[in-house]
Amino acid sequence: MNYQILGNNYQRKDGIGKVTGSETYTSDVILPRMWHARVLRSPYAHARIISIDQTAAKALGAVVLTYADVPHLKYNERIVSIPPHLFRDRTVLADKARHVGEAVAAVAAPTEQLAEKALRALKIEWEILPHYTDPADAQSENAEPIHDAVLLNGEMKPIENNVAVARTVNVGNVDEGFEHADFIFEREYLTSRIYHAQMETKSCVCDPASDGSITVYPTTQSIHNTRQLLGEIFNIPLHKVNVKRVAIGGTFGSSIQMNSIIPICVALALKAKHPVKLVSTREEDMYDHVRYQTKLKLKIGVTRDGKITAGHIQALADVGGHNIQAYALLSVLAGWSASLYKFPHLRFEGKAVYTNKTPSCAMQGFGNPQATFAMESLTDEIAHELELDPIEFKLKNYVGLGGTFWGQGPSVQSIIRSDGVPQLLHDGAQKIGWRARPKAGTQTGRYRHGIGMARGFHTSGAGAPKPGEVIDYSGAFIKINEDGTVDVVHAMMDHGGGTLEAIAKIVAEELGVPIENVGISPADTLTTVYDVVTHATRGVYAGGGAAHKAALKVKQQIFEYASRVLELQADSLVIEPDYELRQGVIYCPNFPERRITLGALAKQLQINSWGTMAAVESLRQVNCPPAFVTYFIDLTVDTETGHVTTNRAVIGSDCGTVVNPAMAIGQLEGGLSKGVGYALVEDNQWDAQTGQLTSKGFWIDGKTPAISEAPFNENIITHFSDTYEPSGPFGAKGIGEAATNPCAAAYANALYNALGIRFTELPITAEKILRALNAEENREARVEMREMEAMAVMQAAE
Amino acid sequence: MLPTNTHILFHEFDYHAPTTLYEATELLAQYGDSARPIAGGTDLLVQMKMERRQPAHVISLARVNALQGIALNGDLTIGATTSIRDLHQYLTSKLQPPFASLQSLGEACNGFSTIQIMRMATLGGNLCNASPASDSAPPLLTFDARVTLKSKTFERVMALEHFFIAPGKTALQADELLTHIRIPRPPHQSASAFIKIARVAADISQVCAAVRLTRDGNLIHDARIALGSVAPTPVRAAAAERELIGQTFSAALAEKIGKRAAQEIQPISDIRATRAYRQHIAAVIVRDALLRAWERTQ
Repeated sequence: MNYQILGNNYQRKDGIGKVTGSETYTSDVILPRMWHARVLRSPYAHARIISIDQTAAKALGAVVLTYADVPHLKYNERIVSIPPHLFRDRTVLADKARHVGEAVAAVAAPTEQLAEKALRALKIEWEILPHYTDPADAQSENAEPIHDAVLLNGEMKPIENNVAVARTVNVGNVDEGFEHADFIFEREYLTSRIYHAQMETKSCVCDPASDGSITVYPTTQSIHNTRQLLGEIFNIPLHKVNVKRVAIGGTFGSSIQMNSIIPICVALALKAKHPVKLVSTREEDMYDHVRYQTKLKLKIGVTRDGKITAGHIQALADVGGHNIQAYALLSVLAGWSASLYKFPHLRFEGKAVYTNKTPSCAMQGFGNPQATFAMESLTDEIAHELELDPIEFKLKNYVGLGGTFWGQGPSVQSIIRSDGVPQLLHDGAQKIGWRARPKAGTQTGRYRHGIGMARGFHTSGAGAPKPGEVIDYSGAFIKINEDGTVDVVHAMMDHGGGTLEAIAKIVAEELGVPIENVGISPADTLTTVYDVVTHATRGVYAGGGAAHKAALKVKQQIFEYASRVLELQADSLVIEPDYELRQGVIYCPNFPERRITLGALAKQLQINSWGTMAAVESLRQVNCPPAFVTYFIDLTVDTETGHVTTNRAVIGSDCGTVVNPAMAIGQLEGGLSKGVGYALVEDNQWDAQTGQLTSKGFWIDGKTPAISEAPFNENIITHFSDTYEPSGPFGAKGIGEAATNPCAAAYANALYNALGIRFTELPITAEKILRALNAEENREARVEMREMEAMAVMQAAE
Repeated sequence: MLPTNTHILFHEFDYHAPTTLYEATELLAQYGDSARPIAGGTDLLVQMKMERRQPAHVISLARVNALQGIALNGDLTIGATTSIRDLHQYLTSKLQPPFASLQSLGEACNGFSTIQIMRMATLGGNLCNASPASDSAPPLLTFDARVTLKSKTFERVMALEHFFIAPGKTALQADELLTHIRIPRPPHQSASAFIKIARVAADISQVCAAVRLTRDGNLIHDARIALGSVAPTPVRAAAAERELIGQTFSAALAEKIGKRAAQEIQPISDIRATRAYRQHIAAVIVRDALLRAWERTQ
């Protein structure tokens, strides 16, 4: 396809603001009469509040907020799930701390320092309860309940044995499937609880007005969901709740919900009758959210010639102190697994358990990095055991063109209509030198070289033909200004990946105007139509799809009005950018001299008082096409230090039509960077005694890889498939989360190739590699010893 | 509540910005223990926010020109507030033999990893912070570096080895300022190397080691080994050094000395590494640094 705009690189509209620091983030918002807030967070993992003495804090002139002062409605901060699947277990401030760092009181004062002073003046009497950092302990018979009951679809649902939710999914008859297997493989995988490590900590500013309305400037991925939930919690009609879109400093899923600090900030502002700003410290932020830690037990049956006959997956997820979306997590763990390979028979049994730790929430890939790590590790092992090339095994068994893809668990399914996997695997293998890779376990010496691969995907949105368990639609409003420029009013958030740039490009492409003439309007909930949330890799596909639909409507109007002015049939007209005039130009190819710029047309409309060319549209995509990704990693292990160096990474993406090439490459590089941390370094550990993070939340001990150890650009080789997604805007689908999903498995498989050792627990740290090497040496030594002994016995017998 | 944070400077303090060394030392004389000099602030600001230090007076050295810059006049003299980045650029571009043998200090500067930290952090600050994990200390220890300490009325010079007392504690008196770090002219036929192992590049070390070797034909004429993050202060591995001197260099010898150095240290287990890993790594990197330094003497 030939496009005027798509596929080209332009300077980002927000680029200069971001690199010069002039972009406004929540912490930059300063309002007249603004006060500052601080939150009192529990030092105990599980404790009931007996009393709070506020006298000294109030004497300092602070406004104090406790459980008694806030609405007691139980809420769930992520209202993407439909009510029957929305487990509501928290209140604005807690009456009982369920994890270290839980917000139990808050203060606001004219300065942040005074607020901090007031916070320290609060005296709390606690009743300390037994706490659990291990899901196994939390489920024990006499364990103290972390939640007695939670609110589900308007009714209180009791919680037994601290099990937040369980879910079973059956396809076919798994026992029958295993009967057809020649071999059955079983392994257990454990992933780590990592912190999102987004640059901006969660923040909020709330401006209350005298008419009872509030204006909120939050860190969020969804301004509309934030608005609706605030309206519900504080019982304010929605037309009086305006949530502004503010630039967000990265998120990786950490702000998929209305962050729990937002209602605290609102409650303080309403009580203080001042605008209030609340900026989380890094330490508070680290106690606020982590990726779900998941134990996955996999059992896969295969025939001798490498055909999968059945799969049985048992998942245990550690929820932490609050259930944000454990039901959805179990759904997608089943869905990602079912969509990675064709399982004629599949059984999934998932359980999510409360513990007294930081609440787990979605993080780039939502369950997919976990499932893909396990599934791609085990399939690599199976291929190896069957003496098949892993690529051959994958091509034989993966779910591709025409197959059913579970975009968001069993309730969100669609048929795959574009599939770049064979091309990506072929190109990737060639670029990395797959055929020349070492034979696993044959190397000796200090430095050992390995090449490993893994594949995966993420969904593009959560759309499906019928309504599912999650809400998914977007809306856009587009208008033509009187000089021929275009305003795009869209509620979607851009987390930095370029979602809004892509939307501008899609609109420019359809309207045939230069990209500079398309502006992305500032957005808030009063002036935009609903968009669910920027998550699930849906930005370009679903958000861009809605903008495309509105652009088509506007284009129709352009042609109708132009036909009146040019006296030509509307259907005969085209519009395309003229870079000299810096305008879209409308003309009929048969009579090219009869033309008018979009600016001149719009002006004519105004002079004639004909009106404005504009359209507003909502769109629910009825598909959720998989954005496929392949990873090939070439690494070297220093067997004396355990350190791993990435020599080259070859990352292939099937995102359909590439809308923003430079930014798409950036997504893949970012996915690698995040994935390496998950694979090799990052791990939040909790002290079982105190229930605290062993890092105490200090960033100096919560380490993540940075630019310093990233491979040089020329060693990160990215490539794209020539696919076109029929249901996407101009053939585009998603990329963002897919970019990271197979990374950890590719590293684990490359490590196996280098060392002959399988790692089943993340992160695979240098220390773990050394320990495994030592164990291997000892094992070999023992085998040798036994052989020698046996020989000695034999010799003695002779 | 959570005990501390790195967002809010809770405790109030007076900020002083003297422009001369005299003014700076006068302020120190006046405020003594209640004052803390600040250079780049990469350690101090974090410690103040975490409330590990609560100085009532913070004395900025940013405007004291006499503390900045590098001069080669017999010794190599480095002003205390010279940034790690400036030092790194100087060491990697300007030095002729025998000072070209200070490679390890350049490598240690590189160990600061991120451009932001390298620009802000200073050599004097890195030493005065007295972290056992200081990257710059081990190379300087192997160079017999000396530090100049100055009060309003008195100046003294001491070996860097005696400067470190305990984690976060140096030999500085309350009214003294570290003004210069002096590296004596290195012997001819010498070379050095520094190796750091950390969880990620932008991190303080799990273990770091610096060595300097001076050769005489195939014999080791002199040897220095220093390690970081393995004891309450950066330390020399004296016994390992002694076993090198006078020997013919070989890979086997380097291997043996690495293990010997690892026996001399008493690392702890903490969030960055276990004791066992530290001990293992120390042997590996001392050996590797010896091999690298010896190669550089050729």
